[in-house]
Amino acid sequence: MTALLTLQDVRVALGATAIGPLSLRVDAGERIAILGPSGAGKSTLLRLIARELRPGGGSLHFAGQPLASWSPAELARRRAVLPQQHGVAFGLPVELVVALGRVARQGDGRQDAIVREALMHAQAEHLHGRRFDTLSGGEQARVQLARVLAQAWDSRDGLLLVDEPVAALDPGLSVSLMAAMSAFAQARGHTLIAVLHDLNLAMNHFDRLWLMKAGRLLADCDALPATLPLLEQLYDTRLRMLKDEHGLAILPMLGAMEART
Amino acid sequence: MNTLGSALPSPVAARRTRRAWPRPMLLALTLVLTVIAAAQFGAVPIAAADWLNGPWSEAPKSGGAHVLWQLRLPRLGLTLAVGAALGLSGALSQALFRNPMAEPGLLGVTSGAAAAVALTLTVFAGLHTALPAEMRLWLLPLVGFAGAVAVCFALDRLSRWLAPGSIAALLLCGLALQAMTFAIVGLCSFIASDEQLRAINFWTLGSLAGANWTMAAVMSGALLALGTIALRVAPRLNALALGEAAAAHVGIDVERLRWQCIAMVALLSALAVAWCGSIGFIGLMAPHLARQLVGADQRLVLPNAMLAGALLLVVADTLARTLAVPAEIPVGVFSALIGAPWFLVLLRGAVRRMGSA
Repeated sequence: MTALLTLQDVRVALGATAIGPLSLRVDAGERIAILGPSGAGKSTLLRLIARELRPGGGSLHFAGQPLASWSPAELARRRAVLPQQHGVAFGLPVELVVALGRVARQGDGRQDAIVREALMHAQAEHLHGRRFDTLSGGEQARVQLARVLAQAWDSRDGLLLVDEPVAALDPGLSVSLMAAMSAFAQARGHTLIAVLHDLNLAMNHFDRLWLMKAGRLLADCDALPATLPLLEQLYDTRLRMLKDEHGLAILPMLGAMEART
Repeated sequence: MNTLGSALPSPVAARRTRRAWPRPMLLALTLVLTVIAAAQFGAVPIAAADWLNGPWSEAPKSGGAHVLWQLRLPRLGLTLAVGAALGLSGALSQALFRNPMAEPGLLGVTSGAAAAVALTLTVFAGLHTALPAEMRLWLLPLVGFAGAVAVCFALDRLSRWLAPGSIAALLLCGLALQAMTFAIVGLCSFIASDEQLRAINFWTLGSLAGANWTMAAVMSGALLALGTIALRVAPRLNALALGEAAAAHVGIDVERLRWQCIAMVALLSALAVAWCGSIGFIGLMAPHLARQLVGADQRLVLPNAMLAGALLLVVADTLARTLAVPAEIPVGVFSALIGAPWFLVLLRGAVRRMGSA
């Protein structure tokens, strides 16, 4: 089986942050969380894979072809991106923002239905008809998520790249949306790569972790309880793990700072 | 119509509940009535019979028929086309810069074209070469286009380099470029003869007095062609509202789209400037009116900005030529008198929404 995505000695320098060289291989259907402290280069790595940044060296291949050789429209049919920041100019209506996920596709008459279903998946169906710029931060995040779902709605074996998808949401919503996103990806064979800050979402909804620190890959490992020491090293803090029949929870050890000094 | 357009929910279906269609109809109706009224206004009274006594008619021409068919109607034709061109170029530059405060006049694009035109006139005068009227008609828009493209390009690079996405940076860049182009115009008027000075003054204030049927026809043709292209890229312009990175993610060739827009804005500005001088603020007001009427969807904003631009300019030009009969006030004076306060109101709104510019 050929890899969906390969990075070979990829490097990039972007102002103060330089990342790489990184060599990684992603197979179809994987669920990968990128973790690391702020400024470690997580978003930069995601933007590299999204073709938003050009690598300063090395090569990226997507579905067997060099990433740079994909036409914008063809690439948009196979991979969708949810960026961290998502302002929309000019107060477009919510349903148009979601429909823009499909702007590069041939019309098939199912657009309106897909837009509605995508909004429902993102728990934002009540926002249909509203102006995007009048929504709260959490509502905007859900509409943008719906746009990404609409883009990947009827493709198979694609790639979803999401940067902090649930950062602006309250706990219940962030868990249910993460689950919905994960199920959406699995049902279509999409690979999911997410930048996350929440260790618990990463451990419970993802199979594989990329731990990034200071622009380098500290570890590429499975999302299993055994990674706890690596996570402690990643964040320079002591952590403890709780486990019950519902899943794992990782919490910082109180007084961790004193313990390390 | 095109593959990209068909992929979005139809604007009609999406907005049916909000009665999006009657409003453009109302706008178009207002425009038609205004045009008829504008043709009636003026020093020479127009009788109903004069409307039927057109170029095709064998009947002896009255003074009214001559004024109507040889002066007012070609002028109105040009006014409509130029107004629509200004509205469209304003809407396109706002979409391009993702900024409701963008306008070719404010950004220096129009004065870039004017500077290129002034420079050309002065150089020809310096060479003691009389420019044949025919050549003048075509050379000036061409030169103006080059000037407008140069300013667009500089603006695009400079504002991205200084502070991407900032309204203040964009407007200040425009201001700097405008100052530069004004300096060129100033230099030209400094070395120009009296006759050239009058010609250059005409460009800085703007007037539709030189209109004829040829200009009206060429301008309308260009507008039709560019308007068609603009409507075809409208869905992609909507995607640009997501931001350049996100527009690329959903499959838009952003660089190509930028250049298409820049070329259209420059061409529309150059055509308007070369024949009618720089008429400010129509490009700011028209798209704003359009968004108030039909919402922010570019597929509706672009055609309605054209209608609104045409309406605004017809009103301004009618005032310009009737208020001080038999003298004529430059139309740019009126558009600026209405437009500048409008700009301040818009700026206040933009600053409030964003917290800061």
